[in-house]
Amino acid sequence: MLKTALRNLLAHKARQLMTLLAVCLGAAFVSGTLVFADSTAAASRDAMSKNYADIAVTVTAKEPPPGATPHQQTSALDDALARKLAAVSGVAAVRPSADGVVTMNAADNTPLRVKQGANLADAYLPGTDGKDSRYPLAEGRAPRNSGELAVDGTTAAAGGFRLGDKVTLAIDGPVMTKRLVGIVTTKDTRVTAAGTLALFDKATAQKLFASPGHYSSIDLSAAPGTAPSELAQRVTDVLPTDRAEATTGAALADQQAILVNTQTRGYTKLPLVFAGISLFIGSFLIINTFTMLVTRRTREIALLRAIGATRRQVSRSVLLEALLVGLVASGAGFLLGLGIASVLPDILSTDGNTLPQGPLVIGPRSVAAALGVGVGVTVLAAWLPSRKAAKVAPIEAMRTTEQPPSAKRSRIRGVAGLALLVLGAGVLVSLSGAKDASETNLQNAMVGCAVLVAALIVLAPILASPVIRLTGRLTGRFGITGHLAQQNALRDPRRTAATAATLMISTGLIAGLAVIGNSTAQALDSQAAAGLGADYVISTGTPTTAIESAAVHRVGETSGVRTATAVSDTTATIGGSVQSISGVDPDTVNDTMKLDFVSGSAKDLGPGRIAVSRTLAQKNGVTTGSELNVGNVGTDPKQQFTKYTVVGVYQDNPIAKDALGVRSDVAKNAFKPGSVQRILVRTDGGAVPTTVEKQLRTAVSNSPLITVQDREQLVTQAAGTLGDLLNVMYGMLAVGVAISALGIVNTLAMSVAERTREIGALRALGMDRSGIRRMVRLEAVTVAAFGTLLGLAGGLFGAWAVGSLANAAMPQYSLALPWGTLLLVCLLSLAIGVPAAAVPARRAAALSPLEAVAEG
Amino acid sequence: MSATPFASRAQHAVPGIAAATFDLSKVYGSGDTRVVALDHVSIDFREGEFTAIMGPSGCGKSTLMHCAAGLDSPSSGSVRVGTTELSTLSDRQLTALRRDRIGFIFQAFNLLPTLTALENITLPLALAGRHPDQQWLDRVVAMVGLSQRLGHRPAQLSGGQQQRVAVARALASRPAIIFGDEPTGNLDSRAGADVLGFLRDSVRELGQTVVMVTHDPVAAGYADRVVFLSDGRPVDEITHPTPGRVLDLMKSLGALSYTS
Repeated sequence: MLKTALRNLLAHKARQLMTLLAVCLGAAFVSGTLVFADSTAAASRDAMSKNYADIAVTVTAKEPPPGATPHQQTSALDDALARKLAAVSGVAAVRPSADGVVTMNAADNTPLRVKQGANLADAYLPGTDGKDSRYPLAEGRAPRNSGELAVDGTTAAAGGFRLGDKVTLAIDGPVMTKRLVGIVTTKDTRVTAAGTLALFDKATAQKLFASPGHYSSIDLSAAPGTAPSELAQRVTDVLPTDRAEATTGAALADQQAILVNTQTRGYTKLPLVFAGISLFIGSFLIINTFTMLVTRRTREIALLRAIGATRRQVSRSVLLEALLVGLVASGAGFLLGLGIASVLPDILSTDGNTLPQGPLVIGPRSVAAALGVGVGVTVLAAWLPSRKAAKVAPIEAMRTTEQPPSAKRSRIRGVAGLALLVLGAGVLVSLSGAKDASETNLQNAMVGCAVLVAALIVLAPILASPVIRLTGRLTGRFGITGHLAQQNALRDPRRTAATAATLMISTGLIAGLAVIGNSTAQALDSQAAAGLGADYVISTGTPTTAIESAAVHRVGETSGVRTATAVSDTTATIGGSVQSISGVDPDTVNDTMKLDFVSGSAKDLGPGRIAVSRTLAQKNGVTTGSELNVGNVGTDPKQQFTKYTVVGVYQDNPIAKDALGVRSDVAKNAFKPGSVQRILVRTDGGAVPTTVEKQLRTAVSNSPLITVQDREQLVTQAAGTLGDLLNVMYGMLAVGVAISALGIVNTLAMSVAERTREIGALRALGMDRSGIRRMVRLEAVTVAAFGTLLGLAGGLFGAWAVGSLANAAMPQYSLALPWGTLLLVCLLSLAIGVPAAAVPARRAAALSPLEAVAEG
Repeated sequence: MSATPFASRAQHAVPGIAAATFDLSKVYGSGDTRVVALDHVSIDFREGEFTAIMGPSGCGKSTLMHCAAGLDSPSSGSVRVGTTELSTLSDRQLTALRRDRIGFIFQAFNLLPTLTALENITLPLALAGRHPDQQWLDRVVAMVGLSQRLGHRPAQLSGGQQQRVAVARALASRPAIIFGDEPTGNLDSRAGADVLGFLRDSVRELGQTVVMVTHDPVAAGYADRVVFLSDGRPVDEITHPTPGRVLDLMKSLGALSYTS
């Protein structure tokens, strides 16, 4: 039977080509993703251990215990401790550091490569040779006083700095300017992967990141033969354990690597979804191909049965063929996957986010997954056709004429399909009453969508007839060719449906995503600008950073500015959860925020009196006039609650956030007491926007920590990430559409092969070659149209049903149909039929009219 | 009338001749595998005449028909349908010629399974983008007795009925000539007799020209003229045949190895 399977496979190379391609793509994405994940993890582990290579043990200051006296809060990490540590046996070298985070402006005064955990700063600490071995100087000299700094080469290149330049920088508040005196090199991957590094002299760094005379950490390297854990123990013995602790470098590297790996795992999700889609769609292709092969081979199979092959042998030979196809495809897919893995880091890396790169790591898991998935899916998909082959009766060998495929409609199919449809639609419709986008509701939505897809797949053969009759009205315009194309597409509704199903899924997903994406984007648009009366928002982006009061004053004085409302942002515990609270000036707030009060007003805000958003009011069951306990979330470890009177309830507003208070009141409990985090600026009408923006940036000293955004930029920022995500999804689904095209090629090639006699007759009776080509092409378009229409209907329904969940999460959400995108999707899906039909159409047109009279 | 070459006649279209071949040869393969299917055949098919072509298997009768009908291209010689010389035509022109001026009846019926009987009958007209002459169509349909079955698909019709649809299809476009390739080969004798009767009636009553390849003496008995082929060339012919005379001639030609 192996021989038969092998011979069949070789005899139908072309038939299996599309199957091979589909399985190959799926396996490629699976193995590519896994190899990518392994390689990235290895590379980041490698990079991290490089960063901590010479560090056996790190000594850091301990958080002071609650209620500590000022004396105890003083760091123990000073030069005396460093000398003491150097004396510990097994310590080869001591390297203290005073490091922290510094954000710089590039030469053009825009923030430079701002990214969490990648804007490092340190002290340049010369050793006995006058050089800091961690940061070899490439140009210039080391910083010597508080007016100087050094940066690394990549930072200088990205920022456009040259020696002697003034560099603007900030830590968490005031803007500083220092002169660039040196450029160093570093191997720290956090910096080399699109981060920044700034170096100061010892005194400056200690003042900025620790306290004068103290360090933030002391790194120790071990003498040969001393284990880091052993050293850590010895070091701990000499430390003032209430104020300092020792950690091994390996443990630190692990912590960092875990962080990077979590990020990497996020990246692997999308390609795996990709693989899932291509394999799911591919499995239809496989079922179709094998079913057609079995049908075409009916006589041969019957002959085998007649001469004594058992049912099991017959079905096994089909499965064996599938196994061979799966093996070849998976093998090819694995190689392709290595290619994907090697380009993925470049694709996923963006300017601000570079993935660690290293050699490809091919683990046994990747190989097993590629083979398992490819072979498994192929064999599983071929299982139904193999059963069909086993059912072929020996008598079929004696039949001479080709059997017309039965167009019987199964009642069971109809009932099952309808049941699924009702179930899926029911689940989705029941969710339309959902009040929130909770995990359970989202899961139900997914289940509903999946059931709906299954229902459409089951019902597709039944729906084929009415839908294609409908599209036939259009193809009918092409005269008899169009009519024949329609009839041919209807000839085997199951085959047509299975072919169209792949396109249906892709189109449905694309259409659904497009609608949800568009609706969400519009909601974000209106949400981002909804509560804003101001023309510009100046913001630090985080409650832990402040805008200097001088800058606040300067903004107010800027020409063209009518109102500038300073806002203090902090968080507070209200009703058991942490909420964002904004401290504003009640007199000017109505000019810069568009507040829609359900009850009360902003005028009544004052000490001890707050306004809350509608959601927060509902959650806590308060109305205007009620009292509310607000707990401060600050550095104070003991939480204190204060009673506030609610003076107003406003519609949810992203600018006002969860609660509003007067600034003096709110700022008391800010992370930096009395600080300002946002300034909402309203200009006089008619001011030229670009100059105002520039002036505002100057007013805040061009601080790299502060953004100045107009409404449009705010909206773009809110919609940005969503757009990127959708584009990736669209890309993946486009591959789905391409695989569907392979399916259409396959089906058409089969039907042309089955209909040689008929096509010959048409040629004899007077249809010219272009007519034959047009007929095949129209059949492809008909199948594509069927899949597209079904997908569109399913996608739109799904998007509508899921929309209510989105609505619960975003009040501004409403169904907005992206007509342009939908039209484009339809046209593309339809158009896919034309290239798909190219080869089968050419083959059909090449048939001679003599085929009609050939002995069958 | 004659199977002997008449150069003057073949070179110029002659009124009353529906189709003609002149010095037609068809050779398959080369060297050792060279097979001469047609060996310099010149033959005329007159308008309003029912011609049967007979001969043993491999005598070239099917090839002759395929070449005369523009389905196959000859190795040398010429074929004329009416005034049109086929060798000068492009594939597209040849297709149009088959569609507009030639009718076909195949042994295996070759109806389009997805079309109804009526749609099959009007298929050549639809391919040409022409509207059927309703009166003519009614007459043809009535003649083959299909009025009640026009909405049926081929699968719902018996073999005889399918072949009657094929006859009607061949007649519907009023072609200059109809070629039949063993039109009764797949039918029982009664259904076959019906079909042959229609063909003869179409010649007698409608003035149609019909050329039919057959190996059945009974079928040939319906024709006005029977041409005998052997080894790729015409060897004899008789007019106003009866099955008995045909059989006698077949016996005398010593070609009784008819198989199908």
